Amino acid sequence: MGQQILNGIFVGSIYALFAVGYTLVFGVLDILNLAHQAVFMLSAFVALALVENAHLSIWLALPLAIIAGGLMGIVLERLAFRPLRGRAGSNISGLISSLAMATVFEAIALQLFGPDTSRFPQGTFPDRMIQFGSASASLLQVCIAGISVAMMAVLTFLLAKTRLGRSIRAVAESPRAARILGIDVDKVIMLSFFLSSALAGAAGVLFGLAFNSISQDVGRSVELKGLAVIILGGMGSVPGAVIAGFAIGLVEVFTVAYIGSSYRDAVSFAVLFVVLVARPSGLLGQVAVREA
Amino acid sequence: MEDFYLAYQSLIAFVGINALLALSVYATLSCGQLSLANAGFMAIGAYTGALITLHAPQVPFGLVLFISAILPSIIAVPLGLPVLRLRGVFLAIATIGFGEVVRLAFVNWDFTNGALGLVAIPQRTQPWILWLMVAVVIFVLARLRGSRTGYALEAIREDETAARTMGIETTRYKMAMLALGAAIAGLAGALEAHFTFIVSPAGYGFGRVVDMLVQAVVGGTAMLFGPVLGAAFLTLLPEILREIGARIGLAPGPFRLFLNGVILLVVILYLPEGIISLPQRLRRRKKAA
Amino acid sequence: MKRALSLLFVASFANSASAADQGAVIGVAISLTGPAASYGAQQKAGIQAALADLGPGKLDVRIEDDASTKEQGITVFQKFINRDKVAAIMGPTLSNTASAADPLAQMAQVPVLAVSNTAAKGITDIGNFIWRDSLTEKQVIPGAFKKAQEKLQFKTAGVLYGNDDVFTKAGYDVMAKALEDLKVKVTGTQTFAKPDRDYNAQLTALTSAKPDVLVVSALADNAAAIVAQARQLGWKGPILGGNGFNSPAFIKNAGAAAEGVMVGTSWNSLSKDAANQKFLAAMQKVGVNPDQFSAQAYTGVLILAEAVKQSGGKTTRADIEAGLAKIKDFETPLGKFSFTADRDAQHEPSVQQVKDGKFQIVQ
Repeated sequence: MGQQILNGIFVGSIYALFAVGYTLVFGVLDILNLAHQAVFMLSAFVALALVENAHLSIWLALPLAIIAGGLMGIVLERLAFRPLRGRAGSNISGLISSLAMATVFEAIALQLFGPDTSRFPQGTFPDRMIQFGSASASLLQVCIAGISVAMMAVLTFLLAKTRLGRSIRAVAESPRAARILGIDVDKVIMLSFFLSSALAGAAGVLFGLAFNSISQDVGRSVELKGLAVIILGGMGSVPGAVIAGFAIGLVEVFTVAYIGSSYRDAVSFAVLFVVLVARPSGLLGQVAVREA
Repeated sequence: MEDFYLAYQSLIAFVGINALLALSVYATLSCGQLSLANAGFMAIGAYTGALITLHAPQVPFGLVLFISAILPSIIAVPLGLPVLRLRGVFLAIATIGFGEVVRLAFVNWDFTNGALGLVAIPQRTQPWILWLMVAVVIFVLARLRGSRTGYALEAIREDETAARTMGIETTRYKMAMLALGAAIAGLAGALEAHFTFIVSPAGYGFGRVVDMLVQAVVGGTAMLFGPVLGAAFLTLLPEILREIGARIGLAPGPFRLFLNGVILLVVILYLPEGIISLPQRLRRRKKAA
Repeated sequence: MKRALSLLFVASFANSASAADQGAVIGVAISLTGPAASYGAQQKAGIQAALADLGPGKLDVRIEDDASTKEQGITVFQKFINRDKVAAIMGPTLSNTASAADPLAQMAQVPVLAVSNTAAKGITDIGNFIWRDSLTEKQVIPGAFKKAQEKLQFKTAGVLYGNDDVFTKAGYDVMAKALEDLKVKVTGTQTFAKPDRDYNAQLTALTSAKPDVLVVSALADNAAAIVAQARQLGWKGPILGGNGFNSPAFIKNAGAAAEGVMVGTSWNSLSKDAANQKFLAAMQKVGVNPDQFSAQAYTGVLILAEAVKQSGGKTTRADIEAGLAKIKDFETPLGKFSFTADRDAQHEPSVQQVKDGKFQIVQ
């Protein structure tokens, strides 16, 4: 039982990290960025290439891959989202253009790295187990959970206390009002994408490290899980995404342990459903979810 | 020439099936609802049709198709009631969830062999049946557009709150279109099942409904032929790329995928009303020149 | 290896030069993109190696991508049958695609040689023109499990399988029955989906019941991660796998965790037979680490060439169909190969165990 709780915390921390970026862009632009999972995937490959081919230590490859993810976000914003701004029905168009970019990213990953699954080479991370009573976790798992939480804390601080954070929140509230107040809305949006995609990149690298598996379809299942997380947490709410990420991770694990693994994904979607029907703003969200 | 037709008859059939699916998405888009549940409805229709044919082969095909269309539309009602109150992206997400739950249900259901699916379904779908169904669906949707219902739908799409204040019963219309879209998707599912000999959960995931949406939007939703055109374009595109690739010595692989993504991006950025708006745009461009 | 693979990919952008215009025209439909792309890539390498070994003029092979979908599988089959007028078709990679596309070939009386379809139903039972050289799990697992039990003497088992893929689900069905026949008690059954990467919850649940062995039905990618995570969670007992484990990718990605894993496989990679050694050499020349998919695809080419030979060098569809029926005890990398009365594959399967980072035969 203790082991299962650890399992849940562990996978939950990665879900949370993924979802936080997802929800950030939604809060700011009201758009679901379907290329988020592609950045997640491609950043993992970047880290892999840095470790395997450039022989960098993972401690250097991780921040570099995170920055690479952020840059991918900027590319995304420029190519797929900015041209659509101000257009009516931009929600659907944004969905589709982000999807197109995801396809392009996947094709790039396929071309550069092939269709086979890869993993970080042995010895990328020291191999050590830590005991927590009757349960055990690897040093890697503990670090991953720790890094995830740290990054989310930094983001929360950034949003709450810095000027950039305030600008982001202002733009999320109303781009027009923000512009009137003198905020460079274009730059703020670009930076939001950078942040969001950097987080996706971090989640991707940590995921690849955690589960020994990097391939161009790793993003797919996490993407749908991520939807459940941001809905549960409340669209646009970063602390909500964090709590919900852990919650869904634990729910999944306990479904496997006590109901049956075949129901694991179904339960996540059931949660998604129930939240949307009963309390659409999620745990901490404030975005208008229903028509009047 | 006949060989050419024989070589591509299934491709043409897939255009027809995808046209139906794109039209099913159009049904809900026409009143401004982004519903992504249709892969789930398609699966329900496909499995229903296959099960009837396999267990009760004496049932005439027309009846099988009818039941495969009705059942999803009935299921659409309890889905729609809670979910149609949600706006925009939230409706989309809820319906994505529904689609995934349907797929997972079929993966886990022993009666339908789970992942193995149902095989050896007799090929009852003939091209003429398929295109007849496409024509019927277009006819129905066209009549709807021109009628008072059509105006109500357009009003809801433009501004739902205003429509409601004008006295239009928005929920009822939205529900009707959700059910109609579900019926069309179910019909397409059954037609496809009886064309490809097999149904399996793999074909009805998130990727499928995204394809439908893309085909409808890329084609353009201003005219009914838009989704049909979009379906034709995107179904034929991989084959066109395959032929071009063979001519210029490009081996099959990621490049096709890359091109697919790029073309989609270009269309959505520069032809926002879809391909169907192309002649209009060119005319405008000529006038301005 | 990665560099060799990327070179292969760059080189593959040039059109795969098919053999000279003579020889039987063979259409190959495999998954070069989509979820099954890694198997398709192995298959392509195996096919091209076989063609190189066969020499020019024997077979005119056209390779097309079915994108792992039944729609494109059907489209490609129809193109092969009606436009390219092939004498035979090899593939497709996935059983689901096969169930959708093979009936077309059957109706047009074009022989199909499946080289990776392992579903028990829906392949060769479509009709007399559908053949396969890939052993089904039913032909491999019972013998493998029996031998494993002789060695390990296990009485209880925890089972983990992929329930959303035909390969692994079909494998599980056979495994469950084999365990039942061996009077092994199943202490728990868990499932996963192919895109999953985190198996900790399932493995924790299974191992907490303390079974004697863990039985896993998974494809190579999932298998590697499953085994690695199982070891990490502290599972020290034996692990039994099916056909999907039979891949160097499994050992590479699982690392030290692969040690001791026992698998029932249809391709004996260690066979010293001349045919197998030739295959291994050919694959080494192009820098590809071969697995079961490439072995079965390579064999498929050899079988088709042999079918042509058996029909006296004639290359029409009927001739190849007749030629296939005559194949008996044919020397291939899979061993002495024949077709069963139902056109399924027949050759000796093997049981292997990972020792010192390599597969070894279990005597």
